[in-house]
Amino acid sequence: EKMPAYKVYYFNARGRAEPTRLLLAAAGVPFEDVRFEVEKWPEYKPKMPMGQAPVLEVDGTMICQSAAMARFVARETGRAGKTNLELAKADMIVDGVADLMNAMANYHYYEPDEARKAEKKKTFFETTLPQFLGHFEKLLVANNGGDGFFAGDGLTHAETFFLCLYESISKENPNVLNAFPKLTALVERIRTYPGIKEWLAKRPQTEF
Amino acid sequence: MPSYKLTYFNVRGRAELIRLLFATGGIPYEDVRIGRDKWPELKPKTPMGQIPILEVDGQVYCQSMAIARFVAREAGLLGESSSDQARADMLLDGGAEVGELLKEVVLEKDASKRAEKKKEFSEKSLPHFLTLYEGFANDSGHFVGESLTWADISFFNMMDFLTAEFPSALEGYDKLNKIIENVKSNPGIAKWLKERPVTDH
Repeated sequence: EKMPAYKVYYFNARGRAEPTRLLLAAAGVPFEDVRFEVEKWPEYKPKMPMGQAPVLEVDGTMICQSAAMARFVARETGRAGKTNLELAKADMIVDGVADLMNAMANYHYYEPDEARKAEKKKTFFETTLPQFLGHFEKLLVANNGGDGFFAGDGLTHAETFFLCLYESISKENPNVLNAFPKLTALVERIRTYPGIKEWLAKRPQTEF
Repeated sequence: MPSYKLTYFNVRGRAELIRLLFATGGIPYEDVRIGRDKWPELKPKTPMGQIPILEVDGQVYCQSMAIARFVAREAGLLGESSSDQARADMLLDGGAEVGELLKEVVLEKDASKRAEKKKEFSEKSLPHFLTLYEGFANDSGHFVGESLTWADISFFNMMDFLTAEFPSALEGYDKLNKIIENVKSNPGIAKWLKERPVTDH
């Protein structure tokens, strides 16, 4: 059976494409990693289903929306939980992570006032983020003691989204996971996961 | 059959899609609605300090979309193939983005700012979204394949909120109107729409 041809379209960044790239890497699935410069975006935009990136193209079908893309790859590669309940567990982590990443994008990109921006960032790192990391730690522990993964007994899109969140927040504060031992160990587990380990070493190094 | 208990405030809000999906699937569940005064004591018992939550045989799940997807699958409304399911996911996520923009309009307290945001939304974001989604809909009035999926139901739910602010929003969008009709005429949904508590949002 012929393996489908995967293409990921995005800017030259990790951003909203990286959770999907990580899943493709974990599955050892080759993909065309299309990265366009900002000036080239107007050429690509009309070809994208909702005029946005990232987009996943699979044998010609285009799927947009970063969580939809990641969940599709997770399902195709057997990393979306074994039961509907396991998928729900993974999905709820992904949604929680996405909420946090949106909050970061909010102050970083969409707050024009510098003072308000600093204030929002402070609230995020001092209150919102630790609260949610606490929830994630608890949920991880609730899954067989917390020495495995968020859902079931394998890596899912929950882990790839979480790693992306970690990479963003740890840039601001390298000690951000100090109070969360199981999450700390999980990050290492994801980073050394076969396929992901190699991808992390060879992927383009970008600021975001 | 597992026991399902949904907990939220007595509003449609982020729980209504879930309720609609249970209704479509004819799946019995406990529709718990709590007063705001009860929320502080429940909050620490929830996975992420938020509601809605769904308890399935005692296990607690949060995040409205994760819960909705779970119920959609149990009700056979997810989409058939993996790429159908991805299509439904992406349409839902795109709809949620517009839902957030609508919220910004509705929640704006300053009257003149609100009027400005409302104008911008109705002149730009809304037509852009509806035109795009008219293109995603097929002639039979479905977003995915030829049968009802949660993508259709989610769109109906969003339009329910949207038409409260913009009553004539769907005028001229033939395929989208067909989607609304298909959803409303589903027996489980028709029954729910008649019986559900009437709330202002």
